[in-house]
Amino acid sequence: MIRLQDVSKVYDGGTVAVNGVSLEIQKGEFVFLVGPSGSGKSTLIRLMLRQEPPTEGDIWVAGKHLNSLPSWKTPLLRRSVGTVFQDFKLLPQKTVYENVAFALEVIGRPRHVIRTQVPQVLRLVGLSAKAERLPQQLSGGEQQRVSIARAFVNRPLIVLADEPTGNLDPATSVGIMRLLDRISRTGTTVVMATHDHAIVDAMRRRVVALDRGAVVRDQSHGAYEGALPEDDDEALAPMPPVPVAPSAPPMTGEETVEE
Amino acid sequence: MRFQYVLAQAVQSIRRNPLVVASAIVAVLVTLVLVFGAIVLRWSIDEDIGRWDDNVRVIAFLSDELSVEEVTALQNEVAGWESVEDVVYFSKAQALEEFREMFADQPSLIEVVEEDPSTLPASLRIKPAEAADYSEIRNQLAVVPGVREVSAADEAIDALVTRSNRLQTFAVSIFLVLGTAAVVLIANTIRMAVYARREEIGIMRLVGAGNWFVRVPFLLEGFFEGVIGALLAVLVVGLGHGFIVELLSTVADPENIQVPLDFLLRQSILVLGFGAVTGLVGSALGMWGFLKD
Repeated sequence: MIRLQDVSKVYDGGTVAVNGVSLEIQKGEFVFLVGPSGSGKSTLIRLMLRQEPPTEGDIWVAGKHLNSLPSWKTPLLRRSVGTVFQDFKLLPQKTVYENVAFALEVIGRPRHVIRTQVPQVLRLVGLSAKAERLPQQLSGGEQQRVSIARAFVNRPLIVLADEPTGNLDPATSVGIMRLLDRISRTGTTVVMATHDHAIVDAMRRRVVALDRGAVVRDQSHGAYEGALPEDDDEALAPMPPVPVAPSAPPMTGEETVEE
Repeated sequence: MRFQYVLAQAVQSIRRNPLVVASAIVAVLVTLVLVFGAIVLRWSIDEDIGRWDDNVRVIAFLSDELSVEEVTALQNEVAGWESVEDVVYFSKAQALEEFREMFADQPSLIEVVEEDPSTLPASLRIKPAEAADYSEIRNQLAVVPGVREVSAADEAIDALVTRSNRLQTFAVSIFLVLGTAAVVLIANTIRMAVYARREEIGIMRLVGAGNWFVRVPFLLEGFFEGVIGALLAVLVVGLGHGFIVELLSTVADPENIQVPLDFLLRQSILVLGFGAVTGLVGSALGMWGFLKD
């Protein structure tokens, strides 16, 4: 489903983000990309989405050879790949329903398809009752579920999630992981970049550990810890009540609204 | 459904930034009013030249010493020239008669002329075969003995032709300078619209919206701005022309200054086309580099 062959990414200025990564991910697999900040997780996801080209090496995603895919076909690639991000990327002026429907509208799905698929996926993520709410009226966890619904509404072959629980507290994160697990069980390939130890350790799925752009470990039922260097400050980061990035919305306040 | 969506996006985008959009429309309006105005004005001038072509004569004023035979010989000689279509002899008496008619309200002038018959010489009125032959005839007459002075309206014609050409140059430069300004202003509105919607565009790209699906609303927005500006320009020139014709109808024959409707319509379509192209080019420029994936 996803194959990377000796992929390197060097940015202008010489920063090596990804260094000789080869990786094969089968259909229906659930894979964690772990590693400290700057280890190349996000870059790998951007490469798979063709948001940028690799400096070296070959990438195949959903049966498409990205290196030779003409740029006008990039939208077709993205229609078979759902994406979930740490910051949700919801449109603030659109309701939950509209945000999810938007993903189908802009790829030209007919209205009757939208009318059946959006409520279906909202039921899947447990937000049927809040379909008419605006994103800012939802908790962080709920917003992330909306973005998962949007990623999944078109039934993609692959879901790429970049730190989907990065802005959420542990309890909420568990709900998000259950949801991604359910999606994975439908045969969808899920690749999730994270530095959340607890989640990775609890799920016991395939773990690909990155360090300075290279794969340092690839275990089929791995834990977060392993070959990771102890001196890395990221190893301390995901302990339960740690406030996340300063730009993140105030989780605690919103969570109380929800629960 | 898709078309509705695209249209709604364009309209919404125009609403979001009315002032900037208005400035772009005004730029198109001013540009096209000047260009369209120049086109209409040029038509009037060309029409004038056409009328003059038919009526203009080269006049050779004859020396008073010429005998009747000499005049006839001269008339025949000139009539034989290739560039001459027709020669008419205009006697002193006829000249005086004409002068009396022209200055009927100024008896003092007539008195002066009547006292001294030498002031109004006899003349040959020569109709050239071709408009361009004026100067040739004039040059030939200059060396003919017995011709006192040559007068032709060619200076006036030349002046008109020059004015027509100058007007064209003016219209072209206006179009280039203001047209560029209009394109840049439209590009600016589009860039702002793209910027205002960058989040939405990012998400559209992530979920796999096609390139044209992203671009078309912006192209449409630029197109609307161009066409609205052009429509207003057509309106302004149309009304302005009617107003000027009415204003001048007391001093000039409206038949002569009225630009025909079908000419106006044809040019209007051209102007609308200009507006549309200006808008599309502007929005393409505005999106340049911004909307690549």
